Amino acid sequence: MNKQIEIATKALRLQVLFLIGISSKVSMHKVLLFTSLSLLLTSCLRLDSNLFNVSDKITEYKWDNYTGEQDFKLDASYKIQDSMMYQFTMDSKGNGDTKSYKIYGMYIGDLNRIATDTVILYCHGNKWHMDFYWQRAKLIAHTGGKHRFGVLMIDYRGYGLSDGPPSEEGLYNDADAAMQWLKSKGLSEQRLIIYGFSMGTSAATELSATPRSMRPHKLILEAPFASAAVMSADGAGLNVPASYTTNLKIDNAEEIKKVKQDFCWIHGTQDNFLGIKTHGEVVYKNHGGMYKEAHRIQGADHGQVPATFGFQNYNETLYKFIVK
Amino acid sequence: MIKKHSSLFLFLVTSLLFACAPSRIIKPLAKGEQAIGANIGGPLINFGGLPIFIPYTSAFYAKGLNDKTTAFGSLHLTALSFGVFQTDIGICRELWYNPKNKLGLSANPAINFALDRWEWKAKLWPQLDMNLHKEFGSNKLLYLGLCNWFELSRIRPHGEVQPKNWFMSPQVGFQYSPKKWTYGIESKWVAPGVNNQPNVVDYLGPNHKGAIGVYFQFIRRF
Repeated sequence: MNKQIEIATKALRLQVLFLIGISSKVSMHKVLLFTSLSLLLTSCLRLDSNLFNVSDKITEYKWDNYTGEQDFKLDASYKIQDSMMYQFTMDSKGNGDTKSYKIYGMYIGDLNRIATDTVILYCHGNKWHMDFYWQRAKLIAHTGGKHRFGVLMIDYRGYGLSDGPPSEEGLYNDADAAMQWLKSKGLSEQRLIIYGFSMGTSAATELSATPRSMRPHKLILEAPFASAAVMSADGAGLNVPASYTTNLKIDNAEEIKKVKQDFCWIHGTQDNFLGIKTHGEVVYKNHGGMYKEAHRIQGADHGQVPATFGFQNYNETLYKFIVK
Repeated sequence: MIKKHSSLFLFLVTSLLFACAPSRIIKPLAKGEQAIGANIGGPLINFGGLPIFIPYTSAFYAKGLNDKTTAFGSLHLTALSFGVFQTDIGICRELWYNPKNKLGLSANPAINFALDRWEWKAKLWPQLDMNLHKEFGSNKLLYLGLCNWFELSRIRPHGEVQPKNWFMSPQVGFQYSPKKWTYGIESKWVAPGVNNQPNVVDYLGPNHKGAIGVYFQFIRRF
């Protein structure tokens, strides 16, 4: 962040120099040339870090006692007993990492049954930390009945209490670290389901398309985004290249062409953030496997799919897809 | 959604409308006259519950080729700070002028060109501004106009069809020119024919259409 501020200051200083040059009419062409070349060659303002919304700092996870903003809140019948909650840390070191990062995870279910259970690895969205997504994880833990499947959720590096700076590659490395942890507990690939929501769809899609430690058996994407290129084009109206603002390479619309696993797509028709037409439909259309199913949830905005769909309908849909 | 999911993809804010700037020249300069100018402003967005305009900056140079035609070229400084060279180059041509009531009509055809240093991706899109201007006294000018951008590509990313190729933005502006300086303010309704939702950027536009833009301009003639 300090580096970005430093760069921004430098850019501003050059702009001021340029404007001073304008107002004084002194060697305007030299100032123009100097400023243009300097800024073009030295500028490196990028908006990549804005992908990661880690602004809400916490000192501990509160789970059901969390009182901050959430997309929805489940009633008491969805409570998870303490004995079925396992908060832990794991080390994550993957592609491009020079050191390992301690990241936090929450496993919902019986640890001793991972070797024989089916587990849903939930890759959450870009916001804050696991407390924000706790209700979602609990809901998924009720798919097919309470604790029918195990659920693993992690905070990517930089999120919640997890170490390190967030990054695109970090998302993939951390999700893969979660798979390594599941593998170490005896989980087989045939019983691994990966579920991505919003930003988490990038990790879920990437690791399904190009498996690392494990190859997920099925893929579920809720409100996926297509790519940075689509975001750029949507934001600009004009078909502006994403490279004008970001170096992010996230490209679900292309990656999913490599996904041969069964695919379940869920998206709200009123998603006012990642539009169903320019994002979700493109990802769905490009799936490279044999089986896929789509659930367009009428009237649901981004983040409101489970609540608008109805928790029971949502759970039934997931269950049918998983056991199909 | 940016309200709820905060800065997720706020980066699109800056990618939006790199082309965004006020009309460079409204009334052509006299033959041989030169001008340099700078502007700041952009479309309004909702940022943390507050309406702010995106502070795009650019600077330009203009020279009167004759009394009816002025050539101009610009440099977009905000884009430059992101490693993107962007310019718009064009002319301002007086199409009609009535000296009796100081009413005129001008056209600004221009080419926008951008090239980034990260992947060396270039983009070119034409622009045509039309402005009806009326002078009040010797140093005030009011104008109404249309800014038009043209997307030449028929496809979007991933081979999808580009839904819109003509972006029309009505605009109104006022300029005050004491002596050699001109101070201007312009507001335009950027792309009112385009729904601003769903989108990653929380634009502020009437009925969720387009975005209202506000621009401030400073010009020195010599």
